[in-house]
Amino acid sequence: MAVEQTKAVLQLAKATRRYGNRAALDQVDLELKESEVYALIGRNGAGKSTLAKAAIGALTLDEGSVRVLGADPSRDRYVRREIGVAPHEIALYLHLTVAENLDVFAALAGVSRARRVSAVARAMDETVCAGRAAERLENLSSGWRRRANLAAAIVHRPRLLVLDEPTEGLDTETWLILRRLIARLRADRTAILLISHNAEDVAVLADRLGVMEAGRLMVEGRPTELMARAFGGRTELVVRLSDAAPSVEPILTARGLAASDQGLCWSGMVVDALAQAREIEMALRSVDVELRELAVHPPGLDALIDWATGSVGA
Amino acid sequence: MILVMVRVMALGLWRDRAGLVLVFVLPPLVFIVFATVFSAGASGRLDIRVGVVDQIGGADSQRLVYSLQRRLGGRLTRSPNVAALEDAIESGRVDAGLVLHGDLADAPTPATVLIHPGRKAAGEILIAQVNAAAGENLPELMLRREVARLDPLLALTPDQVRRSARMPLGLASTPPFAAQRVLPGGDPLVIYYAGAVSILFLMFTAMQGAMSLIDERRAGLWLRLGLSTGGVAPLLGGRMLWLTALGVIQALVLFQVAAVVYGVPVLTNLAAWSATAVCAAAASAGIALALAAACNTREQAQPVSTFAFLILAAIGGSMAPRFLMPEALQTLGWLTPHTWVIEAYQTVLWRGLVNATVLEAWTVLASFAGAGFLAALWFEARRRL
Repeated sequence: MAVEQTKAVLQLAKATRRYGNRAALDQVDLELKESEVYALIGRNGAGKSTLAKAAIGALTLDEGSVRVLGADPSRDRYVRREIGVAPHEIALYLHLTVAENLDVFAALAGVSRARRVSAVARAMDETVCAGRAAERLENLSSGWRRRANLAAAIVHRPRLLVLDEPTEGLDTETWLILRRLIARLRADRTAILLISHNAEDVAVLADRLGVMEAGRLMVEGRPTELMARAFGGRTELVVRLSDAAPSVEPILTARGLAASDQGLCWSGMVVDALAQAREIEMALRSVDVELRELAVHPPGLDALIDWATGSVGA
Repeated sequence: MILVMVRVMALGLWRDRAGLVLVFVLPPLVFIVFATVFSAGASGRLDIRVGVVDQIGGADSQRLVYSLQRRLGGRLTRSPNVAALEDAIESGRVDAGLVLHGDLADAPTPATVLIHPGRKAAGEILIAQVNAAAGENLPELMLRREVARLDPLLALTPDQVRRSARMPLGLASTPPFAAQRVLPGGDPLVIYYAGAVSILFLMFTAMQGAMSLIDERRAGLWLRLGLSTGGVAPLLGGRMLWLTALGVIQALVLFQVAAVVYGVPVLTNLAAWSATAVCAAAASAGIALALAAACNTREQAQPVSTFAFLILAAIGGSMAPRFLMPEALQTLGWLTPHTWVIEAYQTVLWRGLVNATVLEAWTVLASFAGAGFLAALWFEARRRL
């Protein structure tokens, strides 16, 4: 049986970039294949944006290499037309209309004059912003601006798309548009590097996930696999009390919960959280302590980052 | 790619009404103010207000006052006494005063001009007006004074002196020793200020446009623009081209006003004027782009450029005429584009020449443009690394 080989669109090998003594990127290896969505998460200053800039050739490396479709984007200009980027900011000219903006960025990406009209129309259709084509950006709401920002990133049909926090501040409708767009781009064999803090983005959109800290890629893998590795079957259990009482301490610490908020809040990662919650409720009732809240949360990205950075450091 | 950036910037200005006013309306207005002030001073049309005290009250003195009144129009007022006149001068109600206190025909100095120490020029103008009024309307009086002055030297006979005193009224005034002819080619100070104001505003206009670089950086646009297949050079080249074109249009508007209002001969020297305008606009664009590329934020660029441009304008002669400056400052002025622009426009429009000075000015301005553009490229390339 013939196995279809998927091509690497983005490759970083031992990518290192220093600012003085601080390494913004430290020996990062990363490979992104066509049709793949790779989500990058990490705390502020972890190196995500530096990695994104390196990927599109906007900065040069002190060590290592970056290749987009086999070429160095910081030197080989021709490959830049294969890259699209939607920065976190609305990177568009506010005094131009949506259509004018797209026309400008299509032209700068090398789309010929003859193909530009259809390219602009298609990008507006895919991001559902054709209805505002003739309106200036300065007159549009933030949701419409985000759609136009996305449209400008795809107007020249890039093979590598870098999206920096694309869903921040999005309404549900625009989020669904983005989801459909990513599905279509993936079908079109576009590789997508997604920088996000949103757990839903990562869970729904990403094929693979990488956690960055201090310029290093600490762990990577499929989101579900990483969650399983990090937390097993554990989920977060949160207990809030009306009053702090010494009698609750042995009950809660025995179940692996830790106190905060002057003993009013207890939380921890536990196995079989629902059963534990029932036991805690009964135990607290027996010592006559009033319960304000008892909640079970699936672990979020922050917990995953904590796990990734803590586990490697250990 | 260059034209794409030109279009982006042109639409930016076109859709900014306040920006259009600042670029195209303010410079001609400022020029008109400067030109009105300085051309009036240079062409002898300074309108001074004069107070007069006639302590003699004779026929000759009254004729002199009447003659002055005709020359000065409603700007001559009579004061009852010297104290009142001094008070009027000190309070600024009049610029200078004239006291007629001696026999106009015989007294060696029959009149005194009173001047405020802060307005000495007004005194000089009043003395000239008094001499002109006396020469034109009291020629026989002036003749009698000359006869009295020459008598000891020429030893005139009593009969000759009598005959000179009987000279009829209405004797034709003495023809001037030298006639006056105003040369064509426009008022040099008007041309000076057209050039001076033009380069002053070119700098600020170019800087406003160049600061779009900083805005783009802040908005993340530069990251997206950086993906353009042409690299940084066309992106900056488009800006350079637009800012130069904008500068030429701005200069065209300003000099058109100068041509219509003051008769500055732009059309008759159109080719040389155009070359000067292009060089001046390109120099401003280059310097502004270099400054904008060197600065990280608008908050940094705004004071740095204002400081630099005002200093350059002051040294280069955009604020006060260079010929009023000390020698050292005039020499320092040659380091600024302002001096070269002013010199080139003056030579081209006033003297009607394209000589070595003009060619040198064009070369220097083109060098400012080239050096500025290269510096901007270098700063932007460094920023990307």
